[in-house]
Amino acid sequence: MHISDGVLPVSVTLGGYAVSAALAAWSARRTTSDQLPKVAVVTSAFFVASLVHIPLGPTSAHLLLPGLAGALLGPVAFIAIGLGLLLQCLLFQFGGLTALGANALMMGLPAIACGWLFQALKGNTHMRHAAAGAAAGATGTAMAAVFLAGFLAAGGEDFFGVAKIAMAAHVPVIVIEGAVSALTIGFLFRVKPELLETGLVTPKKESHD
Amino acid sequence: MTEIIHHIPLWYLPLLVILPITALWAGVAGLRRTARRKTAADRDPDWSVPPLADEKQGGSFLHKWDVRCKIVTILIFSFVVASLDHLAAALAAVVISLSVAVMIRVPAARLMLRLLALAGFLGMLLVVMPFTVPPHSGDTLVVFGGVEWLTLNFRGLLLAATIAARAVAIAMLMEPLLSTAPLPVTLHGLCRLGVPEMAAQMVLLSNRYVHVFSHEARRMSAGMQVRGFRKRTDTATLRTVANFLGMLFVRSFERTERVFDAMRARGYQGRFPEPVKLRLCASDLFICLAWLTVAAALVVWDRIIL
Repeated sequence: MHISDGVLPVSVTLGGYAVSAALAAWSARRTTSDQLPKVAVVTSAFFVASLVHIPLGPTSAHLLLPGLAGALLGPVAFIAIGLGLLLQCLLFQFGGLTALGANALMMGLPAIACGWLFQALKGNTHMRHAAAGAAAGATGTAMAAVFLAGFLAAGGEDFFGVAKIAMAAHVPVIVIEGAVSALTIGFLFRVKPELLETGLVTPKKESHD
Repeated sequence: MTEIIHHIPLWYLPLLVILPITALWAGVAGLRRTARRKTAADRDPDWSVPPLADEKQGGSFLHKWDVRCKIVTILIFSFVVASLDHLAAALAAVVISLSVAVMIRVPAARLMLRLLALAGFLGMLLVVMPFTVPPHSGDTLVVFGGVEWLTLNFRGLLLAATIAARAVAIAMLMEPLLSTAPLPVTLHGLCRLGVPEMAAQMVLLSNRYVHVFSHEARRMSAGMQVRGFRKRTDTATLRTVANFLGMLFVRSFERTERVFDAMRARGYQGRFPEPVKLRLCASDLFICLAWLTVAAALVVWDRIIL
C-alpha cells in the first residue's frame, strides 16, 4: 500500500525527498552510467509484474515485489523502485506526488536490504535459492509494512490506530509475497540461473564493448 | 475530561456506520467500472504510443505556459496544499484544482480514474480514524450501546476528511501537470530545472517499455487462459503466477539486452536530442505569480484567520 498525498506532515515529505535523492545518487554510483538505460527497461518489467493480482478469498492482493527486485537487481533496485513509483504517478492515476520520496524510501530500503539478504543466504542448490527467495520476499514486504506504519505514526498519536491496522493488513500479503518470491526464484534458478548470480546490471559486466 | 459524549443504542451502528460504508464501497466499485470502460477504448489498442503526449487538444493557458514555470508552480502549490490544517481551506484547494482541471478540459473519466485510485487508501482512513483517534478534551464522542471500544470520535472523522480533501486536491492537479504537454517536453523542463538528464531518459525509456511489457504480459496471460488456467485461492495458482513472473523477467531481461544493443548501434552515447527550445516570457511569469499568490492566500487563511 502506498501513502497518498496529504497524509504526512510536510517536514516528513520533504525529508523523504532529500533522503531518497541521496540514496538514488548512491545507488546510481554502484553501476556505470551507461548501464542505467538498462535499469530503466528492467524497471518496466517489474512495474508490469507488480500489476499482477493474486486472488485471496473474496478480495485480491497485488504484489509489491521489493524483495524480488532487491534479489535480482542488487543496490540499483532503489533507483528502479523510485522510477517505478514515479511512473505510477504519471501513468497509473495514483498520485502521491508530494509523498513520492517517502514512498520510495518505504519500498526501496527493504529492497536494498533484501538484496544483501538474498546474496548472503543463497547457496548452490535449488532449495537454498528458493528458501533465500522466500526470506527476501517476506522480509521485504514486512519491512515495507513497518516503514509504512512508521511514516503514518509520524503524524502524531492520532495516526497510531491507522498505523497498527495498516501493518496488520500486510500479514497475508507477506505470506503470499514470500511464497511467490520463492517460487519465482526457483523458476529462474532452473531456467536462467545467471540472472541470480550478479543480476543484470553490474559494473563488472563488459559484454557490449 | 470534558468530552461531549452521546450514548446511542447499538442497533444504530449498522444504520450510521455500516450502511454508509457499504454504499460508498458499492459506489466506488461502480464508478471504477464505468471509468475503466470509458478510458479502455483509447488505452488498449495502440500500446506503442505513450498516452501522455496529448497534442490534439491544446490552446488553454496551461498548454502554452512554459513547462518549467508549470512544474515549479504546481509542485509548490501541491506542497502548500499538503500543509493545510483546516478542512475549509483544504476544500477551497479542491475547488481551485477542480476549476483548473475544468478550464483545461480534462476528460472526466481520466480525472475519475485518478480519484478512484485514491479511494482504497482514503476509504481506509475514513473508516479507521474515527474509531482509533484518542479522545481529547472538547471532542464529540458517540458511544454505541455502551460498548467502550466502539467509540466514534468526530475529530477523527474531521481529520480523515481533511486528509482526503488534500489528497484529492493534489491528485486533480496531476492531469493539468502531465497531460498539457508531451512527456518528453515535461521531462526536458525538469532537466532544465536541475534534474539529472539520465533520470529523465530513464523515465522516458521505462514509460515506453511498460507498454511493451504489459502487452507481452497480456499475451502470456491470454495463452494461460486458453490452456485452461483460472485464478483461485490455492497453491497451484501461486505456483503458476510465480512461473508467469519468472518467464516475464527472463523475456524482458533478454529484451533489455537487445534494446540496449540496438540503441548503441544507432549511435546512442548517453544523450537524447532536445525536444523543444524553451523560452520564458512575461506572461509565463505572470501566471506563475498569480497562482502562487492564491497559494499564499490559502496559507494565510488556513494559519491565521481560521
